[in-house]
Amino acid sequence: MLSLVLRGFMQRKLRVLLTGIAIALGVALMAGTYILTDTINKSFAGIFNVANRGHDVVITPRQSLGRNTRSKTSPVTDQILAQVRATPGVAEAAGSIFTPGSFLDVHGKRLTVGGAPAFIGSEVPKRFESFTVAHGRFATNANEVAIDEATANRNNLKLGEKMVVAGSAPARDYTIVGILRFGGGQSFGGAGAAILTLPEAQRVLALPGHFDQIDVAAESNPAHPVSASVLRERIRAVLPATVDVRTGVQQAAKDTSDLESNLSFIRTFLLVFAYVALVVGAFIIFNTFSITVAQRTREFGLLRTLGGSRRQIMQSVVYEGLLLGVGGAVLGLLGGLVLAPALNALFKAFGADLPHNGTVLETRTIVVSLLVGIVVTLLAGLPPALRATRVPPLAAMREGVEIPPRPLPSRRALIARTVGLLLVCVLLGLAAGGGVVLVLLLLAWAWWLGKTLLRVRRGGGPPHYRLVPALAQVIGVLVTWRGVTGQLARENSIRQPGRTLITAGALTVGLALVAFVAVLADGTKATINRAVSRSFAGDLIIENSQEGNREQGIPALLAPTVRQVSGVASVTPVAFTVGRLPGSSSNATITAIDPATFERVYRVEWKQGSNATLLGLGNEGVVLTKGYAESKHLKLGQTISMLTPAEKHVSLTVRGIASDNARLLGNLTITLALARASFGQRDDALDFVSYAPGATNAQVQPAVNRLLAAAFPQARSRTAAQFKQDQANQINTLLALIYVLLALSVIVSLFGIVNTLILSIYERTRELGMMRAIGTSRRQVRQMIRYESVITALIGGVFGLVIGVVGAVLVTSLTLSGSGYVQSIPVGTLAILLVVAAVAGLLAAQLPARRAARLDMLQALMSE
Amino acid sequence: MNGAAAQGGSEKLVEAEDLRRRYGEGEAAVDALAGVTVAFPAGRFAAIMGPSGSGKSTLMHILAGLDRPTSGTVRIGGVELTELADRELTQLRRDRIGFIFQTFNLLPVLNGEENILLPLSIAGRKPDREWFDRLIDTVGIRDRLSHRPAELSGGQQQRVAVARALITRPTVVFADEPSGNLDSKASNDVLELLRHAVDDFGQTVVMVTHDAHAASFADRLLVLADGRIVHDGESLSSEHALDLMKSVG
Repeated sequence: MLSLVLRGFMQRKLRVLLTGIAIALGVALMAGTYILTDTINKSFAGIFNVANRGHDVVITPRQSLGRNTRSKTSPVTDQILAQVRATPGVAEAAGSIFTPGSFLDVHGKRLTVGGAPAFIGSEVPKRFESFTVAHGRFATNANEVAIDEATANRNNLKLGEKMVVAGSAPARDYTIVGILRFGGGQSFGGAGAAILTLPEAQRVLALPGHFDQIDVAAESNPAHPVSASVLRERIRAVLPATVDVRTGVQQAAKDTSDLESNLSFIRTFLLVFAYVALVVGAFIIFNTFSITVAQRTREFGLLRTLGGSRRQIMQSVVYEGLLLGVGGAVLGLLGGLVLAPALNALFKAFGADLPHNGTVLETRTIVVSLLVGIVVTLLAGLPPALRATRVPPLAAMREGVEIPPRPLPSRRALIARTVGLLLVCVLLGLAAGGGVVLVLLLLAWAWWLGKTLLRVRRGGGPPHYRLVPALAQVIGVLVTWRGVTGQLARENSIRQPGRTLITAGALTVGLALVAFVAVLADGTKATINRAVSRSFAGDLIIENSQEGNREQGIPALLAPTVRQVSGVASVTPVAFTVGRLPGSSSNATITAIDPATFERVYRVEWKQGSNATLLGLGNEGVVLTKGYAESKHLKLGQTISMLTPAEKHVSLTVRGIASDNARLLGNLTITLALARASFGQRDDALDFVSYAPGATNAQVQPAVNRLLAAAFPQARSRTAAQFKQDQANQINTLLALIYVLLALSVIVSLFGIVNTLILSIYERTRELGMMRAIGTSRRQVRQMIRYESVITALIGGVFGLVIGVVGAVLVTSLTLSGSGYVQSIPVGTLAILLVVAAVAGLLAAQLPARRAARLDMLQALMSE
Repeated sequence: MNGAAAQGGSEKLVEAEDLRRRYGEGEAAVDALAGVTVAFPAGRFAAIMGPSGSGKSTLMHILAGLDRPTSGTVRIGGVELTELADRELTQLRRDRIGFIFQTFNLLPVLNGEENILLPLSIAGRKPDREWFDRLIDTVGIRDRLSHRPAELSGGQQQRVAVARALITRPTVVFADEPSGNLDSKASNDVLELLRHAVDDFGQTVVMVTHDAHAASFADRLLVLADGRIVHDGESLSSEHALDLMKSVG
């Protein structure tokens, strides 16, 4: 049997290749994702190993609430350093700074790209230092800086030139005296580092007397050796619980695992697209196998007549699937090696430059990629294989014997199956973490339901998909005016509606997701626009100008400084922090505001309470958003306890409940004073500026900008319109990334169209021969095939758009109702999508059309 | 031959000179045609017979511009086929040649009328309604025009195919075993039709067949054996034709 299958493969090289590629692309994205993320993780592990080299013990702020709570006053102080130094067995201990800030050139242009962090650091004693000097030296006074080689090269900075380092104090410039190389010369990704003297680093970050970290070296007296873990125990015993004490090895492991979990979303994000591509690939395999099984009806009938068992027939098809799966998966794995750097380049292009040293191919990557590729292929090939077993031996004798359709199950069984499948889809979806996987599974279910319903309406006969002919009639208008080729194309496209539907379906999956995301993005933009218009009552918003600036705040000093600008009536700082309810495993988001001025710039939609509530918040009052209050069953007057990033517990009494469509307010809203006192909050996130009566934007914004350029070049001012545009741009960037990744699925579906066309042409060889004989030109043949392809693609496109739009509207109205989400359908984008589908169809038809036009007429006429 | 056929006169519409067609190379080479010179005058019905492998199909394919000879020339209505590029050849087949196939070869997605009009549709020409009406009445499928081939009997399909071959008023109609897939009643109907087309419309028809009965409908009988014409004369009764076939077979 296997040799028969192999021989069949050799005779159908092109189709095998096309089908193999269909599965290989999905596998490639999957393998590429694993390779890339493993490489990034491994690179970070390398960086952290170097960073912690020579550190026996490391003391850092405790971060019970996770790593993303940096903007707080570090509890690692001079006093702790003194305690460490006094601990027996400590040979050397040094405090250091390593905190994200901003680097700019003297004209205010950022020296780092995209969202890559720029670390402000301080020099540490030689044995702790992970940077080596490539040129020049470390800074020796407060006017000097040494920067990493990559940043220097990227910006063409030389020794002796000046640059600006901005932290929490007003920014100033420094003379570059050194170019540094990170230990081992590993890539740092797009991140940069500027090393100042310790006092200057502390001053820049407004952290005098505080450190981000204390490094400790153990006494190396051979007579009384002190191990790192023993020293750690000793130090741990004398230090407060607000700091963590780890050995260098532990610290490196901790840093690595923190980072991996922080970056794990990248893997999940990319894998989703790999799964989508695999689903599309499965469609194509199913379709190709279905068609070939139908075409080989006679062959199977002959095998059956000669005594072949149903099992053997099934085996021959399953073997074919197995071979194809193995081939496709191996090809995909190799493709993954190529795709991994491409994905990295893609992320880099979208502003996320992560370190990647070498290529890491884990055994897991190989196993998972091969397994998934093979299993998907086998599963998709199974239904056609089962179908092949139903070929009656009679098929060998007679022309046109069709495989008898499966009898329709009873109504009750059908309903049970429908409900059961839905349950399985939902459970699987939830098990996979919900989100896109769930949506995909539900789409698959809806597809199945639609198919079944269409079949039921026909009353058990062979499935006849009414929608396809109807759609083809409408879409066909586009091509039928071109004469008989268009008409024939339309008729051919609906000759086997089921086949067309599945071929188009592969494209539908990709386009439905594109449409879904496009509608969601458009709605989100509209929602933001309306929310900003409704809620923001100020004139300017000041924010960090770094892309993805949620993490990077602005100095608290900025607000009082801007307040001095003439024409400014008030500046209202807003800060974001987090807290955790006892027994909870996730953080609550917290917005800290200045109660005295907040109502001037922001309209709160109160459910309970009023603007006066804000004034009475004090140090123990809190306002909750409606959704949070409901989910935690909290009522007015109740008191809750919160663990803060500063490792303190505060009691808060619910004073008000508000809803906030602009989502500025977190789960909790507290006063800025409380955030500074008990949450360790240092920087602000935003400043809302309102103008004095009579002041115009034309006067005030330039004045504000001048001040920012001089003292806080990392910040920028935005009017409400500019702010909306920024938000829209951010969404567009993400959208573009998603489009690029979904494009792979669309490409996979093109292979499906190519495949189906080639198989259909093969079936219609004699027809084509006749048409050529009676005077159809090659051009007309090509035209006919192209039109057929365009119609198929557009059927897929229309289904995709409808499913995507309806899905997005359904999902948003189910999950976001009452949150102020604004529905918005991007008609222009959807129209472009249809054009893309049509062009895709044209593209897919190139090869089949040429093959059809080149058919040997005589052989075609004499073929069976 | 009756008077109506006289309009074509004895002008030689299809002429072939010293046609040779070789398949394969070297020792395995086979000469399907080994020097055939033949002419078909207008308004006559010729039958080409011969045993399997005699070269009769190859001859027809080359005469109809579907295949190219290894050497020799073919002229249809004065146009030298062997010098034409594919595009011109396609044009010629479209305008000057009608085809009738053993397996009907109708497009299953088109109904009877659309199939008949297909050659005109391909050419982008408007049908001559009067001619169309006359044709469908002649072949007797007026009530089947809206049916697709799957809903027609073999005889009906072949009658549609005959109408399709005649719709462009081609210079010559080539029929390849037109009755080969039909029962005797339907077979006679179709052969009568061809006869009728020659007699009443002055159509020129060249038919390849291995059926002596079919050949008896023609005016002229050519017999091929081993790539050469071994008989060229008036049509014979089936019995005589059979005897002739036996002698060359």
